[in-house]
Amino acid sequence: MDAVSLLPCLYAFVACLGFCVIYHIRGLGMVICGLGGTLGWLVYLLVSAAGGSVYFASFLAAVSGSVYSETMARLRKCPVTGYLIVSIFPLVPGAGIYYTMDYFMWGQAEQGMQTGLQTLGIAGCLAVGVLLVSSAVRMYTVFQSRMRKNVK
Amino acid sequence: MDYDMLLKLAMELGVRLQKSGAEIYRVEESVVRLLAAYGVSGEVFAIPNCLIVSLTTGTGEQKTALRRIPSHGTDIELLEAYNDLCRKLCHNPPPEQEALDRVFAEEKSGRDWPFYTQLCAYFVGTGGFSLFFGGTWADAACSGLCGMAICCCLKVTRRLRASLFNQTVFSAFVSSLLAAACVYARLAEHVPFVTIGALMALVPGVLFTNSMRDIMAGDMVAGLVKLVESMVIGGAIALGTGAGLALARAAGGL
Repeated sequence: MDAVSLLPCLYAFVACLGFCVIYHIRGLGMVICGLGGTLGWLVYLLVSAAGGSVYFASFLAAVSGSVYSETMARLRKCPVTGYLIVSIFPLVPGAGIYYTMDYFMWGQAEQGMQTGLQTLGIAGCLAVGVLLVSSAVRMYTVFQSRMRKNVK
Repeated sequence: MDYDMLLKLAMELGVRLQKSGAEIYRVEESVVRLLAAYGVSGEVFAIPNCLIVSLTTGTGEQKTALRRIPSHGTDIELLEAYNDLCRKLCHNPPPEQEALDRVFAEEKSGRDWPFYTQLCAYFVGTGGFSLFFGGTWADAACSGLCGMAICCCLKVTRRLRASLFNQTVFSAFVSSLLAAACVYARLAEHVPFVTIGALMALVPGVLFTNSMRDIMAGDMVAGLVKLVESMVIGGAIALGTGAGLALARAAGGL
């Protein structure tokens, strides 16, 4: 993998900074979110380069993005939503919606369907990745507070 | 203990958390915890556009309040502030009136970005995503312009109290027309990259993920509402962009 193929990670960082302002994230939070977006895309690229499918790459990228966000939320004692929103932003299949629409507009219904289903599939993979991590964290939190009660 | 004031306090905090973009489980947990901190048992039920809080007074009387929640954006700074305040109130509950004053005071401390900063943010965000998806620098600049147009459209349509669907269709329509115009004027090279970058400001990826999280967490109604909402927005984007590009093509621009 050469440097040029990593350029999108840098673009993702810049784009995430812009969206941080839109979602009212300030100061250090902006850098943390930007790095989250970069990390997600880096994982996506690495998995793709290793021969993983689009779905698997999206899934692993979402998992890494949300592990990162949950960690940062714990460290800074802030709700995880803020970090999560921006960190998985570059993975969102915005291009998929566009191409689906474009195919249908030119009457290529079959390709349109295919792209549309792929877009939905990627969105599903992202959701499952995020869910897996957030459920695990919530269960761990409950487990931890039970343990603490037992000790008392 | 002033139960009416407590109910008002719990409601106010819950509504404010939800309006700033908190997840359903966070709103419900926060309200229950707050009531418990005052030694009162209560029930809370939240869905994306409604919050119901009920508590039992010392004499066994039931008090219930209901608030509708208008459609709202996401304001992480306020969310963090209210979350922090809720933690402090639960840890060391002050008299109800004082707590309520502190909730109200939090809003005044929350500042909104000036309009030109928001415009710049849309420019950087959408331009960045245009580069990200493979556009050239010229594409990115035009995409940024389209993003700024989306920002203005959203502002205007929100002020006109348009529904989320109409807001999205209108913004997508204007931005795709502008994208086609940029390419027609030879400012940019690729219509897709210009449009896709700008559309990232509208795409409901976060909403979709949150809806899945709600469904898996057991908040079915909340999850379904958000799921349908994200599908509607996705459709609105396709419709608005499609209409804009079709119009541009019919006008002979492309």
